[in-house]
Amino acid sequence: MDTALEAGRLGKRYARHWALRECSLRVPAGRIAALVGPNGAGKSTLLHLAVGLLRPDAGSIRVFGQDPHGNTGALADIGFVAQETPLYEDFTAEELSRAGSKINRRWDSEVVRQRLTRVGVPMGKAVGKLSGGQRAQVALALALAKQPRLLLLDEPVASLDPLARKEFLQSLMGSVAESGTSVLLSSHLLADLERVCDYVIVLNSGRLRLCGPVDDLIAEHKQLVGPRNGGTPIAGVRSVIRASHTDRQSTLLVRTTGEIEDPDWAVHDVTLEDLVLAHLAEGAAEAVEVAA
Amino acid sequence: MIWLTWRQHRRQVWFTLAALAALAALMVPTGLSMWGAFDDLKLGDCLARIPTAPADPAEAMPCSTALTNFRSSYQTMNLVGVLMLFLPLLIGLFWGAPLVAREIEHGTHRFAWTQGVSRRRWMLVKFGLVGAATLTASVAYGLGMSWWLTPLARAGQSRMNLVAFDMQGIVPIGYTLFAVALGVFAGTVWPKVLPAMAATLVGVIGLRIVLTTLARRHYQPAEAVTFPVVGATDSNPAAGDWVLGRGVRDASGRMVIPGIQVGCPSDAPGCAAELGLGDGAYNWLLLQPAERFWLFQTIEFGIYAALAVVLLALAMRRVRRIA
Repeated sequence: MDTALEAGRLGKRYARHWALRECSLRVPAGRIAALVGPNGAGKSTLLHLAVGLLRPDAGSIRVFGQDPHGNTGALADIGFVAQETPLYEDFTAEELSRAGSKINRRWDSEVVRQRLTRVGVPMGKAVGKLSGGQRAQVALALALAKQPRLLLLDEPVASLDPLARKEFLQSLMGSVAESGTSVLLSSHLLADLERVCDYVIVLNSGRLRLCGPVDDLIAEHKQLVGPRNGGTPIAGVRSVIRASHTDRQSTLLVRTTGEIEDPDWAVHDVTLEDLVLAHLAEGAAEAVEVAA
Repeated sequence: MIWLTWRQHRRQVWFTLAALAALAALMVPTGLSMWGAFDDLKLGDCLARIPTAPADPAEAMPCSTALTNFRSSYQTMNLVGVLMLFLPLLIGLFWGAPLVAREIEHGTHRFAWTQGVSRRRWMLVKFGLVGAATLTASVAYGLGMSWWLTPLARAGQSRMNLVAFDMQGIVPIGYTLFAVALGVFAGTVWPKVLPAMAATLVGVIGLRIVLTTLARRHYQPAEAVTFPVVGATDSNPAAGDWVLGRGVRDASGRMVIPGIQVGCPSDAPGCAAELGLGDGAYNWLLLQPAERFWLFQTIEFGIYAALAVVLLALAMRRVRRIA
């Protein structure tokens, strides 16, 4: 399968602090990938590296096999909506689209007009005077007008109210379903993206915690409840992500390699949110250990 | 890209044109009135005769009366001129500083630099167009001020005078280009509009003061001019030289009275002796001659233009690293 985005031991440093380190991941083409992590986890850094705004300090990043930094050819395939959807406030959507058509080789002004008409955003009003949701729609329409193969959205719904969030994501899914565009969108709340994504990347403290297709991850992760376990290996368990114990009983969230056949353990399915939270907590625990 | 640049800055263009038009509305009538008075008083002829003919009092009188009249009418105009000194600075503050700083402050660079135009091209177009616009404005201003100042300059206000020199000719073009380039560069270092403007303000004024007061007098070796104490006609006040130092020296060349010039009539023996000056004492002037005006203008323009080029090159380097 085609690879939309691939990072190999990618690192980015600000002064002495590594915002992203040893990050190796791959997003296959055609996926809707959620990039999840708390604030400061390195999500924006990863997206800025992917769109060539930043240059890696270590490792490499490729979009459809090309290095995006200073590469206008690679940028033509990437639609990007930055955090807080920065746009020239005194421009109308019409003028922004015109500007886009002048600074891109491939540009479909019809996409902008049709999308904005459909969602009811006026084309002739300065975007600074639009609501947050309308601005986000304008920014998305401009990104789609490039007819990108990969769409990168940095916290696209963070500033929107719940209704606008839903509408935004719906309209996004509607357009990328038709075109088969790959999408990578970030949020500090998985709940925002859970319903739309089929691929998940979890970052915490600049480290990659988890990356993979949602279905596989849910199938691999199980919650085990059984007699108190002090760390004895369990057949079929690759790693224990989170463990909590009472006097007689242990509850483990584990990543499995196959079926758990040990009759001592009751096996439960987990939700995506459970396993993402468990991996984030694991990251946090490690960070504390390192600090101590 | 050109359209985008125009669309982004068109309001600023209109404001600048309106400001320049307002300025012209002030300067053109006052300039015409000065030139009119200058011609009506026949100052041109008068001034042309002064250096050659030792003044015949009968002839000199109407001339000096005319000069006095002209000066008393228009001396205050110098103040208007001083205001104009700030024009290059203002252009640097409002055109240079926000150029990159505003994009980054508002985050719009993340839109602009992720489209199909490289940052290099983005900068070349923006710097090029804004540079051309400021160049046009400053050429108009420099030449206009030269025309406006000429009557004042010929009536005694030297063109080499510290303030007058800065207002006319080609140096305002150099100042403007430098101020804009410094603004752009400051915007890449402090990517917010206000700090970038503050840095531009301090930088432009600071460098102007340093170069004007310390460096300019050394662009060329100064010339010493001497003339005798007895029987001296005062040197022509309108000669327009930039006097750096003056005084009276004795026959051995030692400075006796610094800071003044002495003229004793030849029919008043003992005048020099009363002042404690021995035989052979002479007046001494250290000056940059008025003929060096354009040479100095070129040198100073060259310094500022070169700095502008360096600053823009540095700004381009910095922009490549901004995320």
